[in-house]
Amino acid sequence: MNGMKKNNIIFSLFVLVSLCVAFQSCDSKREPGKIYMPDMAYSRAYVAYAPNNLASENIKYIPWPVEGTIRRGDLFPYILPNDSNGYKLSAQVKDPLPPLNSTQMKEAARLFNINCAICHGEKMDAQGPLSTGGKVPAVANLTLAQYIAMPVGTMFHSITYGKNNMGSYASQLSREQRWMVIQYIKAHQAGLNIATASSDANSASGTDSTKTK
Amino acid sequence: MLTLCQHAFLLLLLVISFIIPLFKIRYQCMNQTSRLFKPLFLLFFLTIISPKLLFAADGETLFKANCAACHKPDEHYVGPALKGAREREPEKGWVYKWVANASSMANTDPYAMKLKAEAGGVVMTSFPDLKKEDIDAILDWADKYEKPGAAKPGAGGAAAPAPETDNTILYGVLTLILAIVALILLQVNSNLKKLTDEKEGHRTAAPVPFYRNKAYLLLVVIFLFLLGGYFLVEGAMGLGRQKGYQPVQPIFYSHAVHAGVNQISCLYCHGGAQDSRHASIPSVNVCMNCHMAVKEYTGDPIKREDGTTVNANEEIQKLYKYAGWNPDTKTYDKPGKPIEWIKIHNLPAHVYFNHSQHVKVGQVACQTCHGEIQKMPEVHQFADLSMGWCINCHRTTNVQFNDNKGHGNNFYSIYEKFHEDIKNKKYDSVTVEKIGGTECQKCHY
Repeated sequence: MNGMKKNNIIFSLFVLVSLCVAFQSCDSKREPGKIYMPDMAYSRAYVAYAPNNLASENIKYIPWPVEGTIRRGDLFPYILPNDSNGYKLSAQVKDPLPPLNSTQMKEAARLFNINCAICHGEKMDAQGPLSTGGKVPAVANLTLAQYIAMPVGTMFHSITYGKNNMGSYASQLSREQRWMVIQYIKAHQAGLNIATASSDANSASGTDSTKTK
Repeated sequence: MLTLCQHAFLLLLLVISFIIPLFKIRYQCMNQTSRLFKPLFLLFFLTIISPKLLFAADGETLFKANCAACHKPDEHYVGPALKGAREREPEKGWVYKWVANASSMANTDPYAMKLKAEAGGVVMTSFPDLKKEDIDAILDWADKYEKPGAAKPGAGGAAAPAPETDNTILYGVLTLILAIVALILLQVNSNLKKLTDEKEGHRTAAPVPFYRNKAYLLLVVIFLFLLGGYFLVEGAMGLGRQKGYQPVQPIFYSHAVHAGVNQISCLYCHGGAQDSRHASIPSVNVCMNCHMAVKEYTGDPIKREDGTTVNANEEIQKLYKYAGWNPDTKTYDKPGKPIEWIKIHNLPAHVYFNHSQHVKVGQVACQTCHGEIQKMPEVHQFADLSMGWCINCHRTTNVQFNDNKGHGNNFYSIYEKFHEDIKNKKYDSVTVEKIGGTECQKCHY
């Protein structure tokens, strides 16, 4: 009887220890770890940013919208080509948006501060964190006369396709957002209530949840 | 993994479970010993089931869980430094009222209004769930806080020494010594007993070797049960969670350099976070926006987790290879291919999470869930992304209703009942829970 008891104790200890080892063994932070039920944790449908094997299964699909597709509520596509002739012609392109109200202007300022200010600076004087350190050279100082005189269409062309050291922002800003940013730049350049507009913008960026500092 | 308090407590438990029975067992019948162990078992289960009950006042943990997104102990961040907060407050106990309902006080209390102005019009989230002793623990911790070493911006942070490991060894050694002392005392005790017995002429039973002594066996079993149970529960809770997950990425991309030193907004690269369910991983062209011009890295050396230095220029060359970019001719002369970044923050398929809902509508800072990304050379998962973690935040986070002055979010104007109730002073704030943020179907459907 005594022997059986002892066996029981030894057996339960063994189970306990082996369970512990099983749970603790996958502790490396380089591995994603284990889960209870794989069929509930891993999606059977293809999810964003996960690899798929559609191509190897010979399934034909187009991963992006057909060319010329316009998103509902979006502006018409910009048709001038990315060459010197297109750049010249862009001067005649007119801003399709009506003048922004103060809320939209705040949003435009927020977009400018996220996407443009890292080089062009919040005051548009080319004093952004990347340009002052000399990391990105030859940043356009938008407060200079040549940029104040620059037609809005040319600005749109440059933001859409990129210019010199600047890349294309077409993937980060929608057409409407690009025009909004241009209106903000023009308003800032014209000096129309610069002081109030930028202080509004600053306080807006102060409450912005996604800023880095 | 274990906090200091937990270490101390487990140690105490171990020592008690060793010493008490050693002296008591001798003078009691064996069947009485079970009564002795009952409270010990109870104590053990308490430690597993309700660690929060026993270790409520750990200031650092509380600080990291509740305050660290906006406060630093020793310097101004989004909000003021917590060090010496109680010396600055206008009257004793003011801080308790403030933490419990900051949003309403910010418009009435003069000192609160001053704080609001200093923070650029941002008001602290209220934490009605934090008890007085919790607040005291946090502030005590902040008052005692000292900067760990002379950390350089950008390079520091990751290389902080781990005092916890040292403590573990110390406690281990202490336990061992105490156990040995207890054993020696027991031997002495039994020898003395034997001597007195012999002197008085009692008959003594043949000595039982210690490995067959039932008391010893019982102790060993209990010890293993305590130890095993602890790790079993810890391990079981860890299943399906991957807090701390830090995979090796195809390119060593340092968030500390980009988001920290260069102050690039999170939304510059992860713009999807404000518009869609996904925060979106940037495509290579977004990297090239700057890296067409930025060809080499000139900042402070970047350290890997294992302490080796990253050859940052090599990493930029890797990027050019992915992009098919030729830096000499400044053209894309080879076909590019996407970078297969490894996703760190994974939720199970049966959980729905939407970034724009939190970032745009809820105005939650990225750092609240992702930690201080701008200080991480290599990103790791900061929160455990467990359901309890989600629900806790939904219970304590106040909804930022749109007020008369245009602060807050227009989206919430549809909750007319709450606006009326707030106007009628029924309550001063509404948590996410109250607008249905803890209903099952919100995230599981």
